[in-house]
Amino acid sequence: MLTLYRPGNGPWHRMPAGSKAAVLLVLVLAVSLLPTAWPTAAIAAAVCAVCHLVPGVGLRELARQVWSLRWLVVVAFGIPCIFLGVEAATVGTVRIVAAVALAGLLASTTPVTALLDVAERALGPLRVIGVDAARAALLLVVALGTVPTLARLAGEVRAAQRARGARGIRVFAVPFLVLALRHADDLGDALTARGVR
Amino acid sequence: MTSALRLADVSVRLGDVDVLRGVDLALDARSIAVVGDNGSGKSTLARLIGGLIRPTQGRVEVLGLDAEKDAAALRRRVAIVFSNPDAQIIMPTVAEDVAFSLRADRLPRAERDARVAAALERFALAPLADRPAYELSGGQKQLLALCGAFVREPDLVVADEPTAFLDGRNAHLISAHLLADSGHRLVVVTHDLDLAARCDVAVRMHEGKVARVGPAPEVVAAHAASWRC
Repeated sequence: MLTLYRPGNGPWHRMPAGSKAAVLLVLVLAVSLLPTAWPTAAIAAAVCAVCHLVPGVGLRELARQVWSLRWLVVVAFGIPCIFLGVEAATVGTVRIVAAVALAGLLASTTPVTALLDVAERALGPLRVIGVDAARAALLLVVALGTVPTLARLAGEVRAAQRARGARGIRVFAVPFLVLALRHADDLGDALTARGVR
Repeated sequence: MTSALRLADVSVRLGDVDVLRGVDLALDARSIAVVGDNGSGKSTLARLIGGLIRPTQGRVEVLGLDAEKDAAALRRRVAIVFSNPDAQIIMPTVAEDVAFSLRADRLPRAERDARVAAALERFALAPLADRPAYELSGGQKQLLALCGAFVREPDLVVADEPTAFLDGRNAHLISAHLLADSGHRLVVVTHDLDLAARCDVAVRMHEGKVARVGPAPEVVAAHAASWRC
């Protein structure tokens, strides 16, 4: 299971997950809806920096997030720079980075269990059209959880391929698919065993 | 008297294969081992008792509850542990994964946190509470799976080859937790004859049928003798 959560005891960590999600959503929307002008880039960067300067998070976490977005930054800045000019490209890129970093703040300061509760509450109104909110929220969490497992299974299949001197996408895809489906079966049993139907 | 486990003429057909054929059992021991060769129907029996599958024919009663009619009530009283710990981890961190087992019960947060803390302490996982679960060793992952099962305070624990992927030290540790008298009954499917012999009663499965039932040391010895000759 992937987790971006970093344990801490700062204000962001202590804030209830629902309120935190609402505050960050408002900030992301504000940053996104400001006009495309140089001051917007400064405001977006400042909001993002201030949010990360709160004890328990830090600018290092912001730097880590920005670094993980480096290729997105290259694309988001490079292409608009050619067609729209430096100002639009800069403002657009800063907006994107700020929005992702602010959203990342939610993930890095909120345990997945709390995120699951928030997702369940947020999806609650969809019950009227037949959506099972608990199941939909769990689906999101389980989907995240399968990423490292599938990566490990892929590694095992590749190692087995190398050991037997086999190559090619087909000799990889078939056993990988079989293992992935078996994992899905096992996961279904595990969920049932833990009270999820 | 209500037997912990009662199977009457139970058969299970999966695809074209009769995995269990006319199984009759009535057992009331605290710990029951199920032994047998690969493909003898042991795991299917465990999944049947755990309520994961339904019989094609016959009736299954667990803890006095009909496994089909009272399935929801039974699931609240039975916890299941599988052999592959990786497939049992749902949540990202150790503590969250244990807490996930209580999610369906909708307990008050304080009670849930207290039970999770006690379970982590019992299984010596408290120092790892905030660690990503997928980073644990195989033995630690299986301990986590047990912790997630026991935090529900089940009346019956069904364990399907719980020591299969473990080294001797971890297998011993897991066995000790399973066999500890903490108010639960145990049904353990295993190839680990040391673990099986320490149970009260053993069932030997052969080609989808019950071949022998009796005191665990005797049944286990008979099973071992069957593949030595």
